[in-house]
Amino acid sequence: MNALMIKGLLFAAILIGATIYVVNSMNIDLSDPINMIAMIGAVAIAVLTVGVSIKYINQMKTDTAGGELADESWDGIGEYKNEVPSGWAYSWLGTAIWAMWYMISGYPVNAFSQIGQWNEEVKAYNTKFEEMHKTADAATLRQMGESIFLVQCAPCHGTTGDGLSGKAQDFTSRMTEAQVLAVIEKGSNQLGYPMGAMPPMMATGQDAKDIAKYIAGGMKGEQPASFAACASCHGADGKGMAGMSPNLTGYDETLVGNVVKNGKKGALGRMPAYHDRMTPVQVKALSAYIQTLKGE
Amino acid sequence: MFHWLEKNPFFFSVGVFVVIAFAGLIEILPNFAEASRPVVGLKPYSVLELAGKNIYMKDQCIACHSQLIRPFKAETDRYGQYSLSGEYAYDRPFLWGSKRTGPDLHRIGNYRTTDWHENHMWEPTSVVPGSIMPAYKHMFTNIADIETAYAEAVTVKNVFATPYGDEIKGTRAAWEAHKPAVLAEAAKIAADMKNKDVKDAVAAGNIPEVVALIAYLNRLK
Repeated sequence: MNALMIKGLLFAAILIGATIYVVNSMNIDLSDPINMIAMIGAVAIAVLTVGVSIKYINQMKTDTAGGELADESWDGIGEYKNEVPSGWAYSWLGTAIWAMWYMISGYPVNAFSQIGQWNEEVKAYNTKFEEMHKTADAATLRQMGESIFLVQCAPCHGTTGDGLSGKAQDFTSRMTEAQVLAVIEKGSNQLGYPMGAMPPMMATGQDAKDIAKYIAGGMKGEQPASFAACASCHGADGKGMAGMSPNLTGYDETLVGNVVKNGKKGALGRMPAYHDRMTPVQVKALSAYIQTLKGE
Repeated sequence: MFHWLEKNPFFFSVGVFVVIAFAGLIEILPNFAEASRPVVGLKPYSVLELAGKNIYMKDQCIACHSQLIRPFKAETDRYGQYSLSGEYAYDRPFLWGSKRTGPDLHRIGNYRTTDWHENHMWEPTSVVPGSIMPAYKHMFTNIADIETAYAEAVTVKNVFATPYGDEIKGTRAAWEAHKPAVLAEAAKIAADMKNKDVKDAVAAGNIPEVVALIAYLNRLK
């Protein structure tokens, strides 16, 4: 054992001692495997550093150059024809094979897709959402409807649903006289009810005005005789014969659903279709909420 | 060959560049080629819409509004389907934006209408009570520059082969012939509006900026 070896072992011992000292003084918990592995790694680095250094310092002291010289001479410095170390050669070969795999079935062609992740996320969420609210009670629906209303509907209908002074439908009442007259004059075939299109000019003049007044008044008081023209489709009570035609007295689920699905262009302006922005449960919730907005 | 390369540093550098560039190309090019084509059914902007787009840029809507819906559920719930690169094929320049002081506008045409925009551009707080967006009343009186928009359409048709029909041509006569179509498109929007001055201006053959801007916003779907 020469002097270099003794100095080396001493240096390694100091490094290991310092590591253990730091571990102790910092109260590091060695029952945590990560800490344990880190400490073993530090000790291993100390031993390897010293060992490898000693090997090469000894080699520099004793080795002489040998072997066959290559033809090149770089300003007088020659080069031996050494074989590539096998470890290097295999690593290079391995890297080349990995690169082929990476190009063909690894990242670029078989890439992670943000869109795919979105699809999965939305699908999973929708399944969970539908499952959770399959049997939602009235209070939950109304609360959900309010949230939807504030996000999707409030920019036109106002946060209170009053239609912002005639900029959009006022949910605190059903229809104004002007709106009823406009529908009677122009007819309507927008909402996709089973009863089909309402032809224009079903009533005219004073008859139309009577009807408008009666419907705008919430269908109270004596029914005008001319309402018979309406009753054949909307029913004598104006409730739309159980979903066959629009309800004239309130916002039932069919009406809200059909308007959301088809949009509507009426006396006040145009409302775009919103069907791709809501699930069936959400439409149900929305109509439950709108029904609570009644003025009186 | 390696021997030769070692003695020629310039060609060695070229070789290194080619090898590294190959890695970049195989990752970038296939995606780029696929994504930069227009999506199916995408039409180039009409002249009126182009004029609106120029107003969008002139008044710097992009400073507060983005036009790019990312594929996150929270975002698609609020703004609609996520954006595809092919949808911007005719945007020169694209107006993705990077700041959302206001909401994203990439699909605004799906859920806002002409009459809403009219109320909103005149007085934003009349429809959105907490809005900090300024009113853009000058757009109701300033007249949109549709001739520049037409020239732009001619340019992108000639330079980038944007698929406009034969009616877009770089001659005075072609512009005179196309002008009624632009006015008709504007009249259709003005018909849905309530502002009397705007209606009168369109009837007189002048298109206020707000009409062009609404045409552009309605087109964003």
